[in-house]
Amino acid sequence: MIVCVAVVGHQNNPLYIQSFTKGDDSLLRISILNVEGCSYHSLKRHHIVHCSLDVVDERVNNPKKSGLIINETFLGLLNPTENYKVYGYLTNTKVKFILVTTDLEVRDVDARVFFGRFHTAYVDAVSNPFHIPGKKITSRKFAERVSTIVKSFGLSSGG
Amino acid sequence: MAPAAPKSGDVLFASVDRVNAELFTLTYGAIVRQLITDLEDVEEVNKQLDQMGYNIGVRLVDEFLAKSSVSRCVDFRETADVIAKVGFKMFLGVTASVTNWDAEGTTCSLILEDNPLVDFVELPDTCQGLHYCNILSGVVRGALEMVSMKTEVTWLRDMLRGDDVFELQVKLLKQVPEEYPYKDDE
Repeated sequence: MIVCVAVVGHQNNPLYIQSFTKGDDSLLRISILNVEGCSYHSLKRHHIVHCSLDVVDERVNNPKKSGLIINETFLGLLNPTENYKVYGYLTNTKVKFILVTTDLEVRDVDARVFFGRFHTAYVDAVSNPFHIPGKKITSRKFAERVSTIVKSFGLSSGG
Repeated sequence: MAPAAPKSGDVLFASVDRVNAELFTLTYGAIVRQLITDLEDVEEVNKQLDQMGYNIGVRLVDEFLAKSSVSRCVDFRETADVIAKVGFKMFLGVTASVTNWDAEGTTCSLILEDNPLVDFVELPDTCQGLHYCNILSGVVRGALEMVSMKTEVTWLRDMLRGDDVFELQVKLLKQVPEEYPYKDDE
């Protein structure tokens, strides 16, 4: 069950965070700047994403120590905390995609496929001439595509 | 020697030099964004895009006629067909369909289901009055003016505003016969 996906810019600034809660079927869109409007759950997710960024930085800056090849885009399982699993993906422009899931049986290859599709959706959203690089992604089409990808991820790994 | 048979749109598209579609889309997007930043008024941007398209059209029609060797069109219906099937295919790589003819045969609609200019584009809320593809209306107007037809070209449906296709209405205002600059009897 995917809990949250996030896109973080190269200066660790959040570009897009979307939550998918288990309880209700509607998608919660969080406004990063409006802290008063955030509920406990969404703050917790921000926190998880933020912590995982530290792990990403560590992997990026010390590739030899952790045994990772420098041009690897898929960072793999970053952080098995409590009952969450966090996966990371790094693009060549240092934009990071973070995936938080509560599903404990997620396979590596599923996460890779997910990030591949997510990357394609991200590239299409950023190619919009009205999108300002470095600012939040406000494209509705991107949000729809992300929710489609998330739904199909749940189905493929459930079986 | 018999004149060469008019080539179909696909053949022409295959024979001209081509550019990467994403480069084309991104370049056009950059032009529109820069215009919006410079002019700030959406109506003004629409006018500028139309003017740019007009300038392109008056030059493009010569290349079109040189490469495609279509024969002289008998009436406006044939003109519209040639623009939709051969012209659009040759320059944009997509064909348009012609519909909605009025009773006199002077107004028609060109329907574009696929438009390479608008790949990846989403209009922000601040630019809702923008006709993003207005350059196309200018191109058609400019091209037809060079072959002695004064037209009015407007957008009826726009996919960026939520419609399902792009619909361009072409209205023939009048056919201007060619004027000679010198009077015969002088």
